[in-house]
Amino acid sequence: MIELTGVKKSFGKQEVLKDVSIKVNDGEVVVILGPSGSGKTTFLRCINFLEKAEKGRMVFGDKILDLGHVKKKDILYIRRHSAFVFQNYGLFAHKTALQNVMEGLTQVQKKSRKEAQQIAEDALSWVGLLDKKDFYPAQLSGGQQQRVGIARAVALKPDVILFDEPTSALDPELVGETLEVIKKVAKMGITMVVVTHEMSFAEDVADRVIFMDGGVVVEEGKPSEIFYKPKEERTRQFLSRIIPVDQYVI
Amino acid sequence: MSFNINSFTDALKSAFLYAPVTLKLTVITFVVAIILGTVIATVRHYRVPVLSQILAVFVTVYMGLPMMVALLLYNLLFMTFYNDVAGALHISVPISDVNPIYIGFFALILGTSCSLSEAVRGAFRGIDKTQYEAGYSIGLTRFQTLIRVIFPQMVPILLPGLQNSLIGLLKASNLVSAIAVTEIMTGALLPSLLYYSYLESYLAAALVYWIIGALIEVLAHFAEKNSGRYLSRAIA
Repeated sequence: MIELTGVKKSFGKQEVLKDVSIKVNDGEVVVILGPSGSGKTTFLRCINFLEKAEKGRMVFGDKILDLGHVKKKDILYIRRHSAFVFQNYGLFAHKTALQNVMEGLTQVQKKSRKEAQQIAEDALSWVGLLDKKDFYPAQLSGGQQQRVGIARAVALKPDVILFDEPTSALDPELVGETLEVIKKVAKMGITMVVVTHEMSFAEDVADRVIFMDGGVVVEEGKPSEIFYKPKEERTRQFLSRIIPVDQYVI
Repeated sequence: MSFNINSFTDALKSAFLYAPVTLKLTVITFVVAIILGTVIATVRHYRVPVLSQILAVFVTVYMGLPMMVALLLYNLLFMTFYNDVAGALHISVPISDVNPIYIGFFALILGTSCSLSEAVRGAFRGIDKTQYEAGYSIGLTRFQTLIRVIFPQMVPILLPGLQNSLIGLLKASNLVSAIAVTEIMTGALLPSLLYYSYLESYLAAALVYWIIGALIEVLAHFAEKNSGRYLSRAIA
């Protein structure tokens, strides 16, 4: 279980996270929605310390951390028990797809090369890219790169995978293949926190939807509640501006 | 002005005889300066408190010092203080037995480290922030990320600048003749001390520098072709 309470973060004078609290149960898929600048990505990045929160408390499994005073070894612990999927893929540019997936297995989890290669090949074939294992990221399409990114995350067997707008940088034709893979991850029962703008995908995979705006959680609930019976005016306003859910097809 | 082919071959032989001195000065300085320059650039890139500010000031100030001035200055300081320092440290080697090439190394390494550190800093800036974050996100430490992710990607960015520095260093290394180290240039001039065959000596020295310079360019071209493979395929 992951629980964050009272997370605060500013960039200079701009207060990006005002007081955010969420709880993610084991095996749960939580989708965070919200307009640009609502702080959802910053919040996600605070979970594995790519961004450092000024205040807040985190419970991660049996670890309890004060986000204002967190030790290096705790940061490493969280990062080694979580994985991150980046908006712009974040693959190591100088490594092939296979090497990208193997890196954490050999360098962090200290697995043998042979074992790591086996796991990495399994992961790549699971996302349908075994034939591209010796390709460098620059030789792959955006959708393929993102699937390698997902394979890299899954292969590490983390307690939670954090997805930061995983399809935002993709052209529309490639969004589908990537979302299919993410759905597959969700079906495996891996705990996931997903920041996305893909509404129908959110409705499909989310156990719970969190709507953020202006650095606070405005509303949260089951997808059916948030999408069809939002309680807050701001949520309704946001949803009305995007394509109605029932007409939205991937 | 007449050209004597025999004087030219004599000068050429003499220059080649001292080529190892130039090569030693160039290669050792280059290797040490890459390491030192990378350390300086890394400290400054990660903004290590105090140390990065000190190094920033040092590099800025030192870059303005001409190599010749530095050489002569260190040589003077060495000549003046060697006996006192050696006496205090109970070193019994007389000053006449100390090879002045060490002063040359010192001056060349310091100057080259500063200029290479700027090139390395430039290469750091060429690496996308996401590459660091990707390393951290899979649980690599900062040091592991630096060694396994960032440095390898800096190599293709650095190579053209490194080639430039190496050739610059090759040419600057002949300044050590000012502190009585015999290298290609002064080696080529040795026969002319007897026969006044300066034209032949200068041309012989130039030829040897050209040969070494051409070899460096061939090597650099080869290295560039290989190191950037993952980038060049991107264009195809």
